[in-house]
Amino acid sequence: MNSILEVSGLNKSYGDFSLDEVTFSLPEGCITGIIGVNGAGKTTTLRSILGLTKKNSGSIKLFGSEMEHHERELKNRIGIVLDDGYFYDELTMAEMKDVIAPAYSAWSEQDYKRYMNRFSLDPKQRINTLSKGMRMKYALALALSHQAELLIMDEPTSGLDPLIRSQLLTILTDYMNEGGKGVFFSTHITSDLDKIADMLIMIDHGKIVFQEEKDTLLDSYRKVKGDTMTLNADTRKLFLSISTTEFGFTGITNQTAKVQKCMPDVVVERLTIEDIMLSHVEGGRE
Amino acid sequence: MLFHLIKKDFMIVKKYVLLMLAVAILIPPFMLWRAPEFAGPMSFLLSVIFTVFMLLQYVSMKEYQYPKASTLLCATPYPRSALVKSKYGFCIFIYAFCCVVYWIETLVFPNLGSFSFEMVLVVFLGISIFLGIYLPIQFKLGYEKTKFFFVIIVMASPFLLPQLSKLNIGFDFSVIHSIPDVLLYGIVAIFSLIILAFSIFVSTKIYSQVDLA
Repeated sequence: MNSILEVSGLNKSYGDFSLDEVTFSLPEGCITGIIGVNGAGKTTTLRSILGLTKKNSGSIKLFGSEMEHHERELKNRIGIVLDDGYFYDELTMAEMKDVIAPAYSAWSEQDYKRYMNRFSLDPKQRINTLSKGMRMKYALALALSHQAELLIMDEPTSGLDPLIRSQLLTILTDYMNEGGKGVFFSTHITSDLDKIADMLIMIDHGKIVFQEEKDTLLDSYRKVKGDTMTLNADTRKLFLSISTTEFGFTGITNQTAKVQKCMPDVVVERLTIEDIMLSHVEGGRE
Repeated sequence: MLFHLIKKDFMIVKKYVLLMLAVAILIPPFMLWRAPEFAGPMSFLLSVIFTVFMLLQYVSMKEYQYPKASTLLCATPYPRSALVKSKYGFCIFIYAFCCVVYWIETLVFPNLGSFSFEMVLVVFLGISIFLGIYLPIQFKLGYEKTKFFFVIIVMASPFLLPQLSKLNIGFDFSVIHSIPDVLLYGIVAIFSLIILAFSIFVSTKIYSQVDLA
């Protein structure tokens, strides 16, 4: 599978926060989610990819070309949805479109109108009168109207009600069905990724914790419940996180077979992405 | 691409555009009526200062109000240099409008004097020097910190300009008068363009290093 986006050795520091040797790649035809708690480095990573913040070092390649040297050409192939839109709120949607559209060489007015109709958006309506869900749909209409091959979205589902989030996921599925596309989005609402993501990247404290296919990830991690008496120094090492109460312990492991061998009486359950994320985060382990 | 970004600047301040264009139209006849001794080139200069700088301030205010909109534009294929150039283009477009308005007014009100090429170039030089200094500072420090600079200029201009016009700086203008007009105009025009080009270069360098919110 070809890589649409390859990030390697990305470093960026701001005061007390830094991205540290961030390395990952996005395969074509996949929806990839980047997860992490607030302040983990998701947005900084996306902004570095889009050239909105200057990286200190590292390489960002899109469609095989270095972003730094082919920025305009490559940005033509990307659709962007930033949280809360990032618009001039006093303009109407038609006026804002007139600002954005000329930037793209492959802008399709027909596609734009089709999306506006599909989302029931009135182009004459002022942006500051739109609900958060409508703003997100408008941002999507702009992002999808120039034959973008990669859609980059920063927290697109944040603050949206379940219906709009579900509609967004349907739109993304339709977009992927066109073929040869990719979606990369950051979120801390992991239930959306449970439904739609193919690949997951986790970032914490500016470092990549893992990049895995979602199904592989969900298969390799398990929640284990058992009697606290079965825990000792050796068995504790098999867990990423453990919480104990007077009734027993709950732990998360990616060494299920070993745990079952050493602790045959424990109960093993499947995990959600959120459980896995929390098991890797300081403060989420207890 | 540049045209669309300049158009964008007019769109985001559309509420003020008509008002400021009315100011550009009314200043010369108003000065002719209330202070005829300062009508003529001085009224042209004042109309340019008010119109260009007030509209530039309104644009900067809107950009400050919606800083994330510039971030979105920079995430699109618009190069940051185009966003910088559009600010200069916006001011030059307004200046050109003021020139046309004043030219028409000199035809309607002969007492305003003649519309001379020399006046247009000298005022253009003044605008180039102002923008040449002001815009790089604004790109570096932002709207909030820079606006005080602008307020002082606008407030002081009605008092300073007449004083400056009376000032005897001891410069021997015969040297300038000995230069053929065409050559002199050429030097002023080229000097103005060099200032603007250098300022655009500096502003682009500054803006390209900014981490956008």
